Amino acid sequence: MKWFSEFIKTLQPRIREIRMSFYLLNRNRLQRVSLVIICILVLIAIFAPLISPFPSHAISATNPGDKLLPPSSKYIFGTDELGRDMFSRVIFGTRISLVTAIIAVGLALLIGVPLGAIAGGVGGVVDEIIMRITDVFLSFPPLLLAIAIAAFLGPNLENAILAIIVSWWPWYTRIIRGQAVSIRERQFVRAARAIGTPMPRIIFGHILPNTLAPVIVQASMDFGSVILTIAALSFLGIGAQPPTPEWGLLISTSRTYFMNAWWYSTFPGIAIFITVLVFNLIGDGIREVLDPRTRKF
Amino acid sequence: MGVFFEIKNLSVGFRTFESERRVLDIESLSINRGETFGLVGESGAGKTVLALTILGLLPKPAGVIHSGEIWFDGEDLLKKSEKEMTDQYRGKRITMIFQDPMSTLNPVFTVGQQIENVIKKQQSLKGSQCTRRAAELLDTVKLPDVASMLKKYPHELSGGQRQRIIIAMALACGAEFLIADEPTRNLDVTIQAGILKLIGDLQKELKISVLFIANNVGLVNVVCKNAGILYQGKVVEAGSSGSVIRKPKHPYTQMLISAIPRDKSEKLKFASIMIKPEAINGCPYYSRCPIAVSDCIEQIPMLQPVDGDQRVACFVAAGGSR
Amino acid sequence: MKKFILRRLFLGMIVLLGVVIITFFLTRVIPSDPAAKWVGPRAKPEQIAKARIELGLDKPLYVQFFKYLTDLVQGDLGHSLRTRRPIMLDLKENLPATIELVLISTIAAVFIGIPLGVISAKRKDQWLDHISRLFSVGVVSLPTFWVALIMQLVFFRILGILPMGGQLSTEIKLTMEIPKITGFIIFDSLITGNFRIFFDALWHLIMPGISIALYPIGLVARMTRSALLEILSNDYITAARSYGLKERTVLWSYALKNSVGTTSTVVALSIGYALVNTFLTESIFSWPGIGSYIATAVIGLDYPAIMGVTIFSAIAYVILNLIADIVIALDPRVRT
Repeated sequence: MKWFSEFIKTLQPRIREIRMSFYLLNRNRLQRVSLVIICILVLIAIFAPLISPFPSHAISATNPGDKLLPPSSKYIFGTDELGRDMFSRVIFGTRISLVTAIIAVGLALLIGVPLGAIAGGVGGVVDEIIMRITDVFLSFPPLLLAIAIAAFLGPNLENAILAIIVSWWPWYTRIIRGQAVSIRERQFVRAARAIGTPMPRIIFGHILPNTLAPVIVQASMDFGSVILTIAALSFLGIGAQPPTPEWGLLISTSRTYFMNAWWYSTFPGIAIFITVLVFNLIGDGIREVLDPRTRKF
Repeated sequence: MGVFFEIKNLSVGFRTFESERRVLDIESLSINRGETFGLVGESGAGKTVLALTILGLLPKPAGVIHSGEIWFDGEDLLKKSEKEMTDQYRGKRITMIFQDPMSTLNPVFTVGQQIENVIKKQQSLKGSQCTRRAAELLDTVKLPDVASMLKKYPHELSGGQRQRIIIAMALACGAEFLIADEPTRNLDVTIQAGILKLIGDLQKELKISVLFIANNVGLVNVVCKNAGILYQGKVVEAGSSGSVIRKPKHPYTQMLISAIPRDKSEKLKFASIMIKPEAINGCPYYSRCPIAVSDCIEQIPMLQPVDGDQRVACFVAAGGSR
Repeated sequence: MKKFILRRLFLGMIVLLGVVIITFFLTRVIPSDPAAKWVGPRAKPEQIAKARIELGLDKPLYVQFFKYLTDLVQGDLGHSLRTRRPIMLDLKENLPATIELVLISTIAAVFIGIPLGVISAKRKDQWLDHISRLFSVGVVSLPTFWVALIMQLVFFRILGILPMGGQLSTEIKLTMEIPKITGFIIFDSLITGNFRIFFDALWHLIMPGISIALYPIGLVARMTRSALLEILSNDYITAARSYGLKERTVLWSYALKNSVGTTSTVVALSIGYALVNTFLTESIFSWPGIGSYIATAVIGLDYPAIMGVTIFSAIAYVILNLIADIVIALDPRVRT
């Protein structure tokens, strides 16, 4: 635990760097807009019950009288086959997408990053073992492992998140490990070892802080990918289950009806598109800022 | 043999994230046909920027040419379009030898392929004729075992071998003007001599004009007829290399020369670096200059002739000999 | 280089073993009642008991694993609960249709994505770059299955210019004899001169093909662009220009060849994404491939089928990456 506080200490001088990065990020108009949209999405997620006109529709209430109505002033996105307001359901879906993304990416980072730092920092047999395991996990096509795990654990949202975490952490391990290996050979690390600094402190206090940049870029991009994955898993039936208003599940249910009820598929899909798009754009922006080579000047 | 290459009032800047830095501020520099001109400056003085500017290869959008003219055989290069530069000048008439041969050779092609590509473009030969010419060139730069050398990749060669390949590539162009940007910088001292001799021999044989850029004033004396000293983007002294080296007039040149120990008995006279505040509107050397006077703070000295063909940009040095 | 290939093959074997181990854990160890999963949710207790013996669940773990492995090597992936046939057979039947889609998307990714990335890098920050980047980032933000549905809605339901699904029109399927040489309708109809079938098949291929190809195109374009930006900032590019080499040569020969390593990795990755995209979109278009097979299996909790497709895809992907790595080894620098 002492190592963790060492790590936090190394972050202090970087605060200024982080602030400058934010400033740089905001210079591009597209990034500014994306940042604003993300804030709006977060607000929507937090205040969902207050914003939705029919919050109960998002959870379990049904309204059979108003089945499959096209968009109107009462039901902005129309209604589904049980008469529920699509607008409210899509809004509540924002909660699900954002929360699952944070949990999945966060936990995957929590597992993958230290493993990668240890593998790269210690080297030798430990490195080999960790990397072989990572390789095995990475050799599944993207999404496939998640599908298999989710299918076998039982189809529900929690298991889907678990499946994502299990298939995602190796990416971070590989990135961190690659960085750690090259940092390990640098002078300041050798110097630290020469004066007898204990290994954990070297790994967490010296190597790790310098490896974070690419992983931050990757993680910010991954928010978008995870949202797409959850939607895909729910679409297949092994993620969120009805009546949860997850966007992918909404699209899946819409299949039976959409030929005559275009609004059913369209709006959840647009929601996914916009959310993933802004996360991808921010991810791009973060990469441009953190990677000196792609900077303009 | 007239002046065939001349720079007038060239001003080049580099844009960084925060501001723009003036990198080159050359009043005048001229080279005669068939002659070697050495340009000496410390790291960061703007030498490579000059080479790239001449060839029109400044990185955009960072590099900015504010003003100036670069006259090459009667034409102003700065007014040429990208297409004109590629088709008529680069390689064909002006070519360059780079500093770091490892980074300037394409790692995924054999050296033979790279030389042949240049030959194909510049000399319109085809097929086996190219290979034969490539072999000839390798011979000219005195590389042994030509046949197997052609099939090697850059990372399989030593530093000295790579530099000779770079020279061979430059020669493959058949240009009349060669810019050699610190060609021996990354080489061991023993190899340096060989490369210098090679460049000197080739220059005499092929009668090409050379702009030899270096950070070591001693090198320039060996190879070049005329020399110029570059300090922070300005030419502060110019003349025949003999005069500049044996009778340096500018305080900076004097410091450069005196920093070369000649023999053990001679006490090393290091000009103390007197740190004065910078003269923003005055002479760029002001802050380090031991002989500065009040004039130096207010005005930028221009190149004035002193003593024959030597010119110096210094109020004290120029004023003293008038 | 031979040494490298051998070493890489060896590593590939280990990875393959790891994949098998993971799938083994998934099917036999993790579920609370593997036998029940094997025979499905509607099985009777006797069937479950029988399955338990068949799968050897009462025997020690390593014996189970050995049986699992030997079955695998012999191509015995078990039987699908739905079709009641050996899964291997099902896979073989469904494979060509999926391969058609994956092939198209890969070709599109390479021949549209790479040039897009190269041009984007060359004209960095100009309007062409901006459009291309917006396109790429937009396309990888789209859920594939949604694109498929919207396309169906617009082009079939509203405009009526493209078919709803299937590989061929019902009319053709009922009235004409479909050549079966390789199993690839497009190819077979072409070489037997059956142009009506060929064009019909092509017409049916449009929507599924586009839905699946979009993500890989965007992905490849993005990664090619960033790889090329890095390459173009190198000294040897400036040097090549100084020799007067045409920009066309510098870009498409000197620069691009340096990206072979990243490119092959990206192409392998995009094939993986294309494959996974088929899982999501085939059932929408009633496309008779592995994708709809696994989609139906997932809904019907046909666990053996799910595992069968997973194992098969994983192994194929490992082999694919092996090939990509060998291509990377062709980079002369890796030889040392």
